[in-house]
Amino acid sequence: MDIFADLVMGLSLAITPINLLYLLVGAMVGMIVGVIPGFGPSAGLAILLPVTFGMDPIGAIMMLAAIYYGAMYGGTITSILLNTPGESATVASTFDGFPLAKNGRAGPALVMQAVASFVGGTVGVVLITILAPMFSQVSRSFGPPEYFLLASMGMLTLIVMIGANWKLGCLSALVGFALGTVGVDLETGQGRYTFGSAELIGGIYFIPVAIGLFGLGELFYAFYIGLHRQGAGSIVQFQKEKRFWPDRMDWISTRWTMVRGSILGFVVGVIPGAGATIASLMAYSLERSVSKTPEKFGQGEMAGLVAPETANNAASSGAMIPLLTLGIPGSASTAVLLAAFLLWGLRPGPLFMAQNPELAWGLIASMYLGNMALLAISIFAIPLFVLLLKVPYRLLAPAIVVICALGTFSVHASFIETWLMFAAGIVGFFMRLYGFSPAALVLALVLGPLAEEALRQTMTISRGSFMIFVDRPASLWILALTVVLLGLVPLFQKLSRAAGAAAKAGG
Amino acid sequence: MRHDTTAKASRLRAAAFAAAFAVSLAGAAPASAQDYPSETLDWTIAFGPGGGNDIMARTIIDILERYDLYPSDIRAENRAGGSGAVGWGHLYAKAGSAYDISTTSGSFVTTPLQADTPWQPADFTPVALLATDDLALVVNGSSEFETIDDLIAAAKERPITIAGTGTVNVDFIVPTLFAEAAGFEFDYVSFNSMADQTTALLSNAVDVMTGNPGEILGMIESGDLRALVYSGVKVPSELEGVPTMADLGYDIGVSMPRGLILAPDAPQEAQEFWIETMKKVVETPEWQAYINTNQLTENIKYGEDFRVFLVNTQNRFESVLREVGAIQ
Repeated sequence: MDIFADLVMGLSLAITPINLLYLLVGAMVGMIVGVIPGFGPSAGLAILLPVTFGMDPIGAIMMLAAIYYGAMYGGTITSILLNTPGESATVASTFDGFPLAKNGRAGPALVMQAVASFVGGTVGVVLITILAPMFSQVSRSFGPPEYFLLASMGMLTLIVMIGANWKLGCLSALVGFALGTVGVDLETGQGRYTFGSAELIGGIYFIPVAIGLFGLGELFYAFYIGLHRQGAGSIVQFQKEKRFWPDRMDWISTRWTMVRGSILGFVVGVIPGAGATIASLMAYSLERSVSKTPEKFGQGEMAGLVAPETANNAASSGAMIPLLTLGIPGSASTAVLLAAFLLWGLRPGPLFMAQNPELAWGLIASMYLGNMALLAISIFAIPLFVLLLKVPYRLLAPAIVVICALGTFSVHASFIETWLMFAAGIVGFFMRLYGFSPAALVLALVLGPLAEEALRQTMTISRGSFMIFVDRPASLWILALTVVLLGLVPLFQKLSRAAGAAAKAGG
Repeated sequence: MRHDTTAKASRLRAAAFAAAFAVSLAGAAPASAQDYPSETLDWTIAFGPGGGNDIMARTIIDILERYDLYPSDIRAENRAGGSGAVGWGHLYAKAGSAYDISTTSGSFVTTPLQADTPWQPADFTPVALLATDDLALVVNGSSEFETIDDLIAAAKERPITIAGTGTVNVDFIVPTLFAEAAGFEFDYVSFNSMADQTTALLSNAVDVMTGNPGEILGMIESGDLRALVYSGVKVPSELEGVPTMADLGYDIGVSMPRGLILAPDAPQEAQEFWIETMKKVVETPEWQAYINTNQLTENIKYGEDFRVFLVNTQNRFESVLREVGAIQ
């Protein structure tokens, strides 16, 4: 098999001591930039890019790639412990990750997220290894109609997020959509609701809003309920930490979640521009809709954490496919990798892998090793992070405020955005108090502009006809899949529940 | 091609060291006069990652770092959206700052014509025009259009779709002028980045896209994309055999100015520092390699000459856009 020969060749290049060292450095840096809210992998990559110029390209690309997928491991830690997503792809991990921590299961949640990340990342690399040429076809079949449908599928997650009080949930989502319309219009270049402010023409970026609503909102609420007065308390009414390792139920109940999350994440990741954020949201909704206990989602269901975690890591592997096979960067982070290729005088494109087999296969092989290293680092680091929970809340709270402010500022060095984050924190507190849904607001803010732009592009292309969605094979597939998810899955659930009830009644 | 990756890199590095040595000797005297560059530089890239502006900015940053031409850190940020209005709006808001800089492209001139931006190109502190570049009309490798004549003939029968980055941008002006000259109509589809529009073209969602061929040479080489016509005066060697618009008798004479600007009212010492620095940058082998790889036309104008060029270009664009009715 050619693939194995190539992979062995790649491994032999990756496994030299100096390259292993670069790989470890990349993995650690990735973890760290992932942990700091707001400070994402693309910033970490851009900072380390200049360091690589004196290096051999193979070692350099291994290190840079490790930062990129390493950030997916780190990003979840604050989602679980502080209800503050480290970056956009880990927003979905707060939905069940934080409730798990509140239920006293922070240890198992952190271990499971590391394992889920490892499984997602590794399945992703295996799929790259054997199916890269096939999946490059997938990257080629997505245009504006498909992006619109994908964003719409991501919005299905809103139904989940809206929660028990649907009126307040819908209102939250509408506020998110409204905030999403602020900024310069892509099609006409006209400003919308910018009121002449140069800071607003870029629209309202979701990172400050998310950090404020989740991180600070939670913090204000904790003060409101008097948590800071409890001496040996911890972040939010944590029950006494029960145990560190996940129990058998955690493993058994998430077996198939990991498989589904990996495959879904990888496929979505292959699509340029869709990326890990949409993948993690879609995996979460998928998992909830196939679950036997959907009502437990949002209350601390392990599958609700594992699904987005496997998906975002598989997606970050999948995003390597358009980069390696077409030279198209699917995200801000892979664009930095592309820039690195260009700076080394390489010419990314369909012939890249054939012309530069050492580099391409060295990179792929290093991703196997990198994921193993990240799993090990995560497991060793978890006890340290769990210690955070033993810090009295009155001491921890100021640190959280500082981290949130620094993280927000680090994204665009914007004071306006930092103030926006604090404003969002106050809004988040009242939303929490009165039962609104901050998650629905953030989701609508992320997906609204994406869907709007794609729909308008689609309508220009089709000259206003909606038939374009069924004329194109790829969009027809997505439509069919949506129908299955929306229609058939709940139907099956109803039937199986009815059958279960009948069995119970009978027995 | 297969084996020369590392050899090429080490050659580049050797050349880099030699040039760095020469540059540091030449640049030693004036640098000590002021304490100007002492803080982190905030480099705004007004477009998404992977586009022409992005690659140019990162190439210059790479050169600055490789030759130690900027003593502090450089932080590059992609502030994309609104055909560049977002990024340059950010820079405009930093008026008076000596540490905010940006690379320009065609949208720098066209976006203020179309949108109600608070800034005009002449507001910024000009550093240098470095080059101009031209666009190709590109189709999917599997497209029915084998030649530009096929495309024109088909477009006269039915309107075609052309994708570009941003609206009322050189991406829009070039095909508009070309279509007007050749006598066909098209619908323009605006995308946020070259990566987005390339994906749309590969998926056959649009018929044609307009773009800088330097960014897609890999896909042209493999036959996945096909360039039909080029807007510049001379076709780059990689596009051998592709006609220019002038060859077809439709000379449109519009090209994209690529340069460097500081925030409005930047201190004079900052402007002088950057003019001197760019004089060194354009002499490096890496910059020449960039010009060649991206098939740019070198066209260097420093300081106020660049401001004059921007104003003239904007007037030219404005009259064109008024003529086609894109602006009132």
